[in-house]
Amino acid sequence: MRTTTTKTRTKATRWLLSAAVAGAALFGSTHEAQAQEILVTGPLAGAPAVRHLRLYRQGRFEVSPAVTFSLLDQYQRTIFFGARLNYNFTDWLGVGVFGSYGGVKIPTALSDHVQKVNAQRRAENAKFKQANNGAELVDQRLVDTNLGPDFKDQLGTMDWILAPQLTVTPFRGKLALFKNIFVDTDLYFFAGPAFIGVQERADCPANSCKGKYDRASRVAIAPTFGLGFTFYVNKWNAIGFEYRGLPFSRNTGGFDTRGGGKDKNFPDNAISGQDRQFQFNQMLTISYNFYFPMQYRVSE
Amino acid sequence: MKKTRTGLLVAAALWVVPAVAWGQHKAEPDKSGDAQAGSADEGAAAEGADKGGGDKGAEGSDIPGGDEVPGTGEPLPGGAGLGDICQIDPQACPHLDMAKEAKKPLHEQIYAMQQLYVLRARRFEINPYWSFTLNDQFVSHPAPGIALNYYITNVLAIGANFNYYAPFNNDSKFNADLRRAARVAVPLTEYSWGAAGNFTYVPAMGKFAGFGDFIFHYDAYVVGGVGALSTRPVPIIDPDNRNFSYKTNLAFNAGIGLRIFFNRWFAGVLEVRDYIFNDKLENLSIPTTVKEQQDSANWYGDSKLTNNVQAQIGISIFLPFSFEYRLPK
Repeated sequence: MRTTTTKTRTKATRWLLSAAVAGAALFGSTHEAQAQEILVTGPLAGAPAVRHLRLYRQGRFEVSPAVTFSLLDQYQRTIFFGARLNYNFTDWLGVGVFGSYGGVKIPTALSDHVQKVNAQRRAENAKFKQANNGAELVDQRLVDTNLGPDFKDQLGTMDWILAPQLTVTPFRGKLALFKNIFVDTDLYFFAGPAFIGVQERADCPANSCKGKYDRASRVAIAPTFGLGFTFYVNKWNAIGFEYRGLPFSRNTGGFDTRGGGKDKNFPDNAISGQDRQFQFNQMLTISYNFYFPMQYRVSE
Repeated sequence: MKKTRTGLLVAAALWVVPAVAWGQHKAEPDKSGDAQAGSADEGAAAEGADKGGGDKGAEGSDIPGGDEVPGTGEPLPGGAGLGDICQIDPQACPHLDMAKEAKKPLHEQIYAMQQLYVLRARRFEINPYWSFTLNDQFVSHPAPGIALNYYITNVLAIGANFNYYAPFNNDSKFNADLRRAARVAVPLTEYSWGAAGNFTYVPAMGKFAGFGDFIFHYDAYVVGGVGALSTRPVPIIDPDNRNFSYKTNLAFNAGIGLRIFFNRWFAGVLEVRDYIFNDKLENLSIPTTVKEQQDSANWYGDSKLTNNVQAQIGISIFLPFSFEYRLPK
């Protein structure tokens, strides 16, 4: 006569065995499927990749009002307003120009913090100076070359950009969004020389920069390149997203950082071209594109 | 014993029933013999294959002639076989004006992508990557990482990812330049590791023709989740007395990614993800006495909501390597 304990153990064993076998069946049996390999034979063999391709670009002018946002800025963000004009000789090659004006400039939190410290230091220094016959705090004297009364007034800026460029569109395709919205898309690359209107702290010779924090303008020339996505809304409109790189040297903070010491890697109490540091300026552009004539061609 | 037998029989039945990947909804039976426009063949990406459209709609086939419809003199739609019905029950005899029927617009449901190149449902994804910081000019945090996902459906996955930052934190020259020029210190943080559980949703799929010659498939996804990030301040205000330990912070994350498929199980991945957490920073002021300076309670300053935006570049490997479509193309 079996005891209650033995009965319970036997029952548990049976359940465990059944569960283990069922689990193995579930996880072991589902994924032996083989993918179908597509063999292009019959009437499609040798056919081009795409037939009846809508040629959105070929032989059309492109006018694209655009808003551009600078990325990864140290002291000041810039929002540019402008446009891109292109003429596309073929569906994959076009030439044009990108122009933009930096209408909105927004200091970063770092700039606010620097100015807050600067203002406190100047206030303390003014009191110390009054109480000590014009003597200044060491803290203040050490930054006199670099920091004026308002840090934001000496920040380097990009005021405008003009860039003739070549555009190559090697990839054309389509996108299904939520399996319901279908849009034609393309991916393009561009490159060209860019002319940039720059403002930065004006040069001053060694040991004479205290009190001279004004900015001067210049035109910098730099390569520009990037890539973009276009999503075609209809025959003659599209939405564009573009990433642009614009590497060149500029003095973003108006500081004396280079020009002296070993390998000229240390300050020299002067503001000059040596204080310009290499910046890989990056931007993101959002545009709405218009294509003329309004009707596209279709390939064979 | 009886129950064990039953369990084993159920298991055997599960083994026998073929498990297949779901390709698309079962289409309505096609009454025409013509090929439907817009079928996504590998050799020809069908342009204009939008829902409801097509270069060639299905054409109605002619009804073979036969007996007439009683009372109209028109040939019976359906042919001689339906003549029997009309003779038995004239009321049930079909009355169709074929010329009128042929002019009716057809709204056949045609999917732009009738057979997806890659089916993700019930597959694992292994995604090793390298990440680098996009938005921190003071300290960059590049890191190797790995993500593991399981696709519950073709568009929804659950998974986890891990980043290892510790040996790679990089204090930039910009910090030294700023401290020297403006005598302003910015508190810095270094990371050790990060881990998170995530959901991934794939709302967009597409394909590109490259140089008019080859076709490749891609998808775009959004990812979000919650996890932990281990960080500590870098002592720069008072390095003589302060020595921080790593602390784990709750971190949420959200991102978007793009996957380009080289074949049905291997893809390149580019993702941008924002890890959001509350970071405790170093105290910017130093107490006056040595005892207070060495008291760790005075080492920490404000907490700041921090966004660590990082780009991740890697590969995806889907397992199992292959799958089966449920329906023929």
